[in-house]
Amino acid sequence: MSQSLRPYLQAVRASLTAALALSNFASQTSERHNVPEIEAASSPELLLNPLTVSRNDTERVLIEPSVNSVRISLKVKQADEIEHILVHKFTRFLTQRAESFFILRRKPIEGYDISFLVTNYHTEALLKHKLVDFILQFMEEVDKEISEMKLFLNARARFVAESFLTPFD
Amino acid sequence: MTIAPPSPTLSFHSSLQPHCLARHASVGLSERLDPIPPYGAVLWLTVARSAPPASIDQVVSDFDGVTFHLSTPESKSKILISINVKCFKELVQYGAQEVLEREYGPYIVSPEPGYDFSVQIDLENLPAEQEAREEMIMKLALLKRNAMAAPFERAFDEFAKLAEEASRYTSESAPQGIKEGGDVMSIHYREEEAIYIKASFDRVTVIFSTVFREETDRIFGKVFLQTSCRDATECASGALPQHSPLELEGVPGVKHAGEGEMSYVTFVLFPRHLTPQRRYDSISHIQTFRDYFHYHIKASKAYIHTRMRKRTADFLQVLNRARPENEERERKTASGRTFRVQS
Repeated sequence: MSQSLRPYLQAVRASLTAALALSNFASQTSERHNVPEIEAASSPELLLNPLTVSRNDTERVLIEPSVNSVRISLKVKQADEIEHILVHKFTRFLTQRAESFFILRRKPIEGYDISFLVTNYHTEALLKHKLVDFILQFMEEVDKEISEMKLFLNARARFVAESFLTPFD
Repeated sequence: MTIAPPSPTLSFHSSLQPHCLARHASVGLSERLDPIPPYGAVLWLTVARSAPPASIDQVVSDFDGVTFHLSTPESKSKILISINVKCFKELVQYGAQEVLEREYGPYIVSPEPGYDFSVQIDLENLPAEQEAREEMIMKLALLKRNAMAAPFERAFDEFAKLAEEASRYTSESAPQGIKEGGDVMSIHYREEEAIYIKASFDRVTVIFSTVFREETDRIFGKVFLQTSCRDATECASGALPQHSPLELEGVPGVKHAGEGEMSYVTFVLFPRHLTPQRRYDSISHIQTFRDYFHYHIKASKAYIHTRMRKRTADFLQVLNRARPENEERERKTASGRTFRVQS
């Protein structure tokens, strides 16, 4: 793990653990409804201050807490066109399977690549520290995966080009 | 030049699979350069193995919208092979008829309706030696290659002529620049894509125009082409992804690379690729460029897709670890009734 990655992940872990203090809270505007307040945003007093943890200008995490839900959005590093397309493909791949990733939001919020929505039902049914672990591991592995795929693509391209041009030597 | 004998269980249907080129390409280091179309296997069975003649009526598709038709219209012992190439008119204009006549002289028959060129072999009239037969099969299997080779051959001949003329000039009076040399020959071998060939006194330039339907394809293609460029400095012939090459100025139907999905790849064949000993291989090899290139883009996409699938499964596993383990499960009695443990 690189020098700058460790404090970044630690900061995210601490902020997430703090933000994931959720309670059951019925909607104040409509009776017998119970919706994630961060998405509904119907009453400003239920929303807490959003927090951004940035590693650099291309990698950051936005944590938006509220009384019964937290929205976590990630921006993954995209240095060039290839990384951009790989990130795009990968996040699309994941969001298409949002059904089985119960905390994944189907659509990332604007300016970010992927978003999670954790509600009080999730924290009741799942272990909170493991949820935080999941998000942290996700952040680590996504970067690794993207750079590995990029390396693979370049290696294959080189091999392919070489073997096509060899007969012309 | 031999093709591997197909296994005895090979049926005609298996010959419908996309042809051997892809398989060679996936290995990367193909020893042979010629693209063998799938019907090579059929011919092999009937001609080289002297299997009993059977009636055949089979349409085989190849890359670039080329179709072959193998049939036995008169009797079982006479196989008619017809080929339909999209750009046959252009090829004839660049001397395809002469090339095909040179290659298939005695076998040529008048083209079958709906096809551009036909050859017929008589199984009762085959060469006696096995080797000669194999050679004949190879020749017939290279129908597409030979048809497409005509403009290349013409360009190579033109190069030889121009080079000879140029050798008479002194260095000052020699014609210079890309405007010199012969006309650009364009072969529109696919719906939107074309090969342009231009001979000059010191080189032959071959330009492929290719279309990328998807953004991903375009970016992957760019990576592949950039890498070829870098390698090209070590190898001799260069592939340069260009934005509408200068050579193509004034050629009708050339779209600008900037607008749309079109991109251009230029190969420069230098005199040492054009020697009579090497020209056969050079022609065979360069023809396969588009298929090879697109095959590898698709293959990389497929690999990345499976990789993402695997990674997603891993993530799911991590997330499932967040579930508490001792979740209450339904229990059953021996008779199959369910019950809940009262807490």
